[in-house]
Amino acid sequence: MIAAVLALALAAPDAPAVTADGLRARHGGVRRLTADVVQVKEGKYWARPFESRVALRYTPERVEWETLAPVRALAVIQGDALWLVGPDGARRDLGPAAGDPKLAAILRFVRALLAVDLDGIERDFVLRYGPGEVTATPRPGSDLGLFRAVRLRFGPDLEIASVELETADEKTRLRFERVQREQRAPAPAPAP
Amino acid sequence: MTAAAWAWSALRRARGTLAVLAGVAALAFALRDTRLEQDPVRSLTHPDPVRAALFDRYQQRSRFQDRIYVEDAGLTPDERARLDAALAAAGYAPMPLLERPAPDVVLSLAPLLPAADLERLLSDERLGARAREAAGLAMLPGGDAYLAELERDPLGLGPAVLERLSGSSGGGGGAGTTRAYRSPLPLRYDSVGAVYDLLVSLTPRVYFIGNDFFSVENYRAANHDIVLCSILSLVFNLALFYVFTGRWSLLGLLLLGTVVSGLTGLGAVRAFHGEVFAVVLAYTSTFVGFNNESLVHLAGLRRGAAGPGHRRRALLGVWSAIGTTVIGFLVLLLGRSPMVRQMAIASLGGMFGFLLFLVPYRALLGGIRFRSFRIPELPVRGRTVAILCAACAAGLAAVGVPRLATHIDEFRFQSPVLDAQLAHFSTRLDAYGLDDVIAVPAAPATAAEDALAPLVAAGTVDAARHPLARLPSREAQAESLRALGGYGAAVDRFRAHLEATGLRLAPARDLPAAIGPLDGWTYLDRLGAVGPVRWSDDVGGRRWVMAGLTKAAAGRVPEGAVSVSPRPHYDALLTSFSRELGWLFLAGLALMAVYLVYLQRSAARVLYVFAPLFLSALAFAVYARLAGGSIHIVHVMGFSLVIALALDYSAVVVSGEHGPVERAKVLLTGLSTLGTFGVLLLARHPVLRALGATVTIGCAASLAFALLVSLREDGARSARGVEGEPP
Repeated sequence: MIAAVLALALAAPDAPAVTADGLRARHGGVRRLTADVVQVKEGKYWARPFESRVALRYTPERVEWETLAPVRALAVIQGDALWLVGPDGARRDLGPAAGDPKLAAILRFVRALLAVDLDGIERDFVLRYGPGEVTATPRPGSDLGLFRAVRLRFGPDLEIASVELETADEKTRLRFERVQREQRAPAPAPAP
Repeated sequence: MTAAAWAWSALRRARGTLAVLAGVAALAFALRDTRLEQDPVRSLTHPDPVRAALFDRYQQRSRFQDRIYVEDAGLTPDERARLDAALAAAGYAPMPLLERPAPDVVLSLAPLLPAADLERLLSDERLGARAREAAGLAMLPGGDAYLAELERDPLGLGPAVLERLSGSSGGGGGAGTTRAYRSPLPLRYDSVGAVYDLLVSLTPRVYFIGNDFFSVENYRAANHDIVLCSILSLVFNLALFYVFTGRWSLLGLLLLGTVVSGLTGLGAVRAFHGEVFAVVLAYTSTFVGFNNESLVHLAGLRRGAAGPGHRRRALLGVWSAIGTTVIGFLVLLLGRSPMVRQMAIASLGGMFGFLLFLVPYRALLGGIRFRSFRIPELPVRGRTVAILCAACAAGLAAVGVPRLATHIDEFRFQSPVLDAQLAHFSTRLDAYGLDDVIAVPAAPATAAEDALAPLVAAGTVDAARHPLARLPSREAQAESLRALGGYGAAVDRFRAHLEATGLRLAPARDLPAAIGPLDGWTYLDRLGAVGPVRWSDDVGGRRWVMAGLTKAAAGRVPEGAVSVSPRPHYDALLTSFSRELGWLFLAGLALMAVYLVYLQRSAARVLYVFAPLFLSALAFAVYARLAGGSIHIVHVMGFSLVIALALDYSAVVVSGEHGPVERAKVLLTGLSTLGTFGVLLLARHPVLRALGATVTIGCAASLAFALLVSLREDGARSARGVEGEPP
């Protein structure tokens, strides 16, 4: 039995080496990204761990975070603006975020996080690279000090697999499935 | 002689100079981290503590300090990204236009909401929609930040109150695309300058305002002036000195001495002030002219050819010149403007530094000869000089003494770009009735509305644009408070809606204890606590209500009221400092007259010394009358420098009984002063330009008078030295 477990462990693939260059090469220049996301939230404001299914649609200009179940809700981030579209299709504008840097910073971070935009994340976080994952902790004085830590885990091909966000009141786990992306073709090599 | 012996001998001969160089190096090292203050206006404090407190507290609340504002609605996303990157690189941190006030404070303003709005907020339909909205936002990563807000203000009264206030006069100040950034401390001019340049390149699609940008412009102007004026005046003076004396060693003496005086002047300022105004540093470029003058007056005193009589007269000239110069600077020292005081301290420090520097070189100074020139002269008697002075005084009375007023724009460097930004934001503030704000004192137990009533009646304040116009009546507030009676039950229903979506919040059922009907003062106090403008204050044991002046009354502060907007506040302050300096200037003149009477022992001679000043004053008054201008603080400061510098000419020539040596010295020092201050006309900083113009005009008149008009006193001409001394 012990030998079997040992054999399985030895046969398991190693966690991928995650480096900034590797991630930039894999995730840079995203023009469009869609994914199914399973989100689990638990913490002070949740009666019990709350699991929801989300459809993510990302372009550099716009992010749609559509909760499909158990309740339907669509949150749209475009520029600094955030609005919700209810089940009745009514749009509820939450106002320009320009006047509130904290909300603007959260929206900026969400956009950067979902596209694995390292430069965007590093604006407010310090990144630590480990086997198969990157851990982000807020920079001192950042508007995103509400986050204690953010962990991004990657698959063997450096595709995003899951994200964990931890704040004082809440823990959120996002599991990414069926990720599809369109990327800009890399710039042609300069002529010799 | 061996090389070693020669080197040792040279070293012994130069030991004084080596000691000076070591001292210069030590002083430069000690002053290496001198911090420069770019804005000479910001440091001004009103001498009246009540006015100072009202202004400071209003400005502190109104948040125009240590932050910048950028309106960037017209930018493309790429331009926005570039701007964001530049701001971040310079250390600017985004901040809310409105600091989020404590929920209790916002909720205490709930009686401002109409009863119908409150009933809608507390309706089941609205509570259900709000719960769905909460669930939608809670699904976003980081959504718990919103839930924490929701727990503090479950029914959204706070946003409703802020939305209502933002529609009122200055209550919210939310200007759609205006962003606020906290300034980095200390400012790094290179990176802030990069932000400024980028913003300028993006105009007119972007607007920006903030003290930092004025500081950058002043920093650049001061740097330009320091380099340009120092180089030009140094080169000019060195050339002039060589033409008159024909000795290179003296040029070295002047050059090294100017470095010494610059450092001792700066050191003297540092001894009394933590920060040195950049414009004062630029002003030290004129020291080469002062030094030239000291060098000239002290030179040639040991020459025996002219005899003991000449030496006595020369010393009389030296004491007259140095004494009046010191008195001129001491007068400036008594002024309350920190910038003027710094200039006076720097001048005194520089002057004494240079005089001390000359001590080891007194033997060299003693043997200097000056090239003399044949200049025609008009001999006049003392009576003629007296008539001339009286005629000037009468002319001055007829033309009228120019109005004394100083405006902030004359005191600091402003580019057309910054002027355009100021105009844009002034229009914005004017839309809120905040362009020209005054604090109005209220008698004890007087309602805020009643304190403003006389000004409203006089058309000085527009009641419709004042926030008090948005204060609902007592009856309307009572109705709103009745609608809020169902608050606790509504919170319970809202919780039930949230629980249906899986959310578990525990908001308080009770409204804050402070909630109740609002009178004018309570309303203004609380409005000031949540908004960007302080509308009421308690200072000096009195209550004050703030109000914007109407366009028709702009700039006319009613009696008893106090201006709290920067421009009128600083204009009034600088004008009061100008008047004070004007009186000090007159006191300085009286002191000089007493001093010269003691030294010269002749009323005619003293009148002769002062005559150029009478001429200059009349010329300036005529110019001001024709140009329609007024005298400001820098002109007064310039007059003090004129008496410090230019009176020396007439004092020296009359002390030396218009001998050729004295006239040659005066020609040299006069040309040096004209060159040194004339160079300031090329400066960008308006303070330096105004200073240059005033001193140049005054010195030109004095120089012409001292060279061309000689005082004929009975028996005095016989003691005159030998004409045409060789150089």
